[in-house]
Amino acid sequence: MRRLRGYGSLVAVVVIAAGALLYTLVAGNKPLLGLDLQGGVSVVLKPKEAVDNATIDQAIAIIRQRIDALGVAEPEITRQGDNILIQIPGVKDKDRALDLVGQTAEMQFRPVLANIAVDPTATTTTTTTAAPTDQTTIAGETTTTTVASTTTTTAALVGGLPEGVCRTGLDAEQINKDGQAILPQCKSGVLVASYSVGPTALTGSSLDTARATLGDNGWTVNPVFKDGADGIGAFNSVAATCYAKATTCPTGQLAIVLDGRVLSAPMINQASFQADLIEISGNFTEREAKDLATALKYGALPVEFEMQQAQIVSATLGRDALHAGLIAGLVGLIAVALYMIAFYRVLGGLAVLKLAIEGALLWSVISWLGTNNGLALTLAGITGIIVSIGVSLDSNVVYYEHLKEDIVNGRSIRSATDHSFVSAFSTIVKADVASLIGAALLWWLTVGPVRGFAFYLGLSTALDLLTSWAYMRPVVRLATRSRLVGRSSLLGLPPEKVQERSRRERSTEGASR
Amino acid sequence: MSWLTRLNRGETRIDFIKWWRRGLILSAVLIVISLGSLFTRGLNLGIDFKGGVSYEVSMSNPSVSAARTALDGVGEGQAKIQIVGTDILRVQTAESTPEHTAEVRQTLGQVAGTDASNVSVSSVGASWGGDITRSAIRALIFFFIAILIYLSIRLELRMAIAAIVAVLHDVLISVGVYSVFQFEVTPGTVIAFLTILGYSIYDTIVVDDKIKENERLVGLSGRMTYSQMTSLSMNQVLLRSLNTTVVSLLPVISLLVVGAGIMGAVTLEEFSIALTVGLTVGAYSSIFVAAPVLVFLKERQAKFRAIRERLASQGVAVDRPAPVPSASDEDTPDAANAATEVSSARTATGVIPPRPRKKTRKR
Repeated sequence: MRRLRGYGSLVAVVVIAAGALLYTLVAGNKPLLGLDLQGGVSVVLKPKEAVDNATIDQAIAIIRQRIDALGVAEPEITRQGDNILIQIPGVKDKDRALDLVGQTAEMQFRPVLANIAVDPTATTTTTTTAAPTDQTTIAGETTTTTVASTTTTTAALVGGLPEGVCRTGLDAEQINKDGQAILPQCKSGVLVASYSVGPTALTGSSLDTARATLGDNGWTVNPVFKDGADGIGAFNSVAATCYAKATTCPTGQLAIVLDGRVLSAPMINQASFQADLIEISGNFTEREAKDLATALKYGALPVEFEMQQAQIVSATLGRDALHAGLIAGLVGLIAVALYMIAFYRVLGGLAVLKLAIEGALLWSVISWLGTNNGLALTLAGITGIIVSIGVSLDSNVVYYEHLKEDIVNGRSIRSATDHSFVSAFSTIVKADVASLIGAALLWWLTVGPVRGFAFYLGLSTALDLLTSWAYMRPVVRLATRSRLVGRSSLLGLPPEKVQERSRRERSTEGASR
Repeated sequence: MSWLTRLNRGETRIDFIKWWRRGLILSAVLIVISLGSLFTRGLNLGIDFKGGVSYEVSMSNPSVSAARTALDGVGEGQAKIQIVGTDILRVQTAESTPEHTAEVRQTLGQVAGTDASNVSVSSVGASWGGDITRSAIRALIFFFIAILIYLSIRLELRMAIAAIVAVLHDVLISVGVYSVFQFEVTPGTVIAFLTILGYSIYDTIVVDDKIKENERLVGLSGRMTYSQMTSLSMNQVLLRSLNTTVVSLLPVISLLVVGAGIMGAVTLEEFSIALTVGLTVGAYSSIFVAAPVLVFLKERQAKFRAIRERLASQGVAVDRPAPVPSASDEDTPDAANAATEVSSARTATGVIPPRPRKKTRKR
């Protein structure tokens, strides 16, 4: 039993590595490729003025909503200091994504001049957008506009709205905030109504907050305006004109517009309102009510951003970069493996095995993080991993050289294995910790691709520490005590000095174990 | 014994004291060239630091003139056009509006005979580069402080200082190389330089550990000065240092030659040039900068100065490699005998059991 002590960690680490790899394969985990390897869009937005954390978080939530509307899976939106980094890998319509992200939307309240019915029988002659899968009738707000009928294709509209307008949106000129415009109302990317609206009467900045509440008659939305002339005062003045069905507001409806789309166009039923007693009702489902409340609450981006950096990476270039990185890594790996084996023979082979174990663990961690945490592997990350091949083998070199030195000084191979590990490991720990400090600082203090690199370097260094202790010591011991390969020539070690050796064995046999 | 065998056993007899002088002269020359180039030619900053727009498209027979003619048509005749690798056309212009960017993209798509969506675009506001630089410098300063503290605790203050001097030397020369050859500086370059820091410290630690092991030789029988002991340590650790360098360099060179050269991945080129230069300089500096600086600092210490003076007055040659007691001959040190056979200083042989002192010191 004594002979097996110390090999426990070796078995454990090999089992864990193999198990992790197996799990990764079975679970279908794969690393998430970063933008520069997959292609996509990346944008850095910087607020034009100083803002607090809550504002930035709000902005992130809104941007996320917008990007979700694009239908891309998992955009990555993160904060870096005061900047917002948005990465949308794999998006097909890159220019649109870029546009969408940067827009500072404004929420506008505009009087409705006319409702334009959608003609379901009119069809387009060119390609249409894909139909939504749910085709239920959407009950409109009965107190407000005309009921929208279902449409399964985009219909050519009276009023000249471009095709596929719910997908592409309108530009600032078409939205025409200070004049008249024709704006669509979209539900789930499908056009349900369009309105001719007048100039903007007030904006989202007049709103304080909004709620969705469940009352006796179903779900309603309660916007709360701010006090004062800019808030409830402005609302009341436009409400008055609409209630009276004045020429500026002949339909009596007030459209709530965001990003050039009409969210809702309720009829005004009173001449004036109190700030917190406004209710928008209709046959809202819970989802619709909550969505509208959220839009009212967060609708406009709370602060204006400027685009600091924008990148559109084409998928082909990304793929090429990935291939090159992988092949270069492989070639480097082979070159360095050959070198180690040539120099250290069997011990060199064991060093390469250590790399394999670290590789398995690294791959599993990256795949798991990629699938579950959205951590992306970029080219910088791949470089970090390739550099860590050197880090791992360095630990082996330090140990083996120590071994050689001890043997040249007269120790037997067996006693040298344990003795030199102690001082070699001390060196390895010092150096790896220094690396880890560097990686941690880099990660904490920098922005952009440097962070990815720091993470992967730090991860590989930590794995190196683990495997040096758990794998390298027991496996070398195994090798030196093995009858098969325990000879110095096979191990790449200098020959033992025989006379000293026997003297040494006799006097220190007990101590060396 | 052949030189290679001696190297293998850590028993080479290189007179590092002499070589340090030469090394320091070389380093001084390189630093002067680097500084000179930095102040006159400066660095070739990529758009991430200067701001602007960069376009990249892969094209079967890239032609700069065809691109320039086409770009002239959209008012970008002055753009910087280059062919990277074998089949990538890269164009850099000043900052522009999104519409103009789309226009240029369209044009380049036509030149390359492909869809505009295959043209990669990267547009950077000028202040972004400033942010990256600032954060990198901040990280650098924190790194130096952290390493100084860590190494002072684990090794000693003078070794920490010598290590940092070596790292500064590495960064300066690496940046100088970039300036002289006007390689483009991108965020990838910054990453690579920061890696070099880590590596340089690693190599210096490997060397310093050996010096610390041998330090008792200076005090014990007072047979050699600190400089001589360090020179001896260098000889013993030479192979270790060389091998760790080779093993770190091989993957990086593969990145450079295979990744960037043969396969033409441009971003890899940015990293790998900086890494190759930095790793090489880093290996050099551990032996030829960190060690002599340490020696310089240590010899100033009263204790070591006294030993040096004592030995000099005894007639021992203090500026040449020291004679060392051979491994099997602990009880009767014989200076004349040992002068012809410099073997390892460690005296762990049959007559002495393992030194427990060393273990507790390391822990």
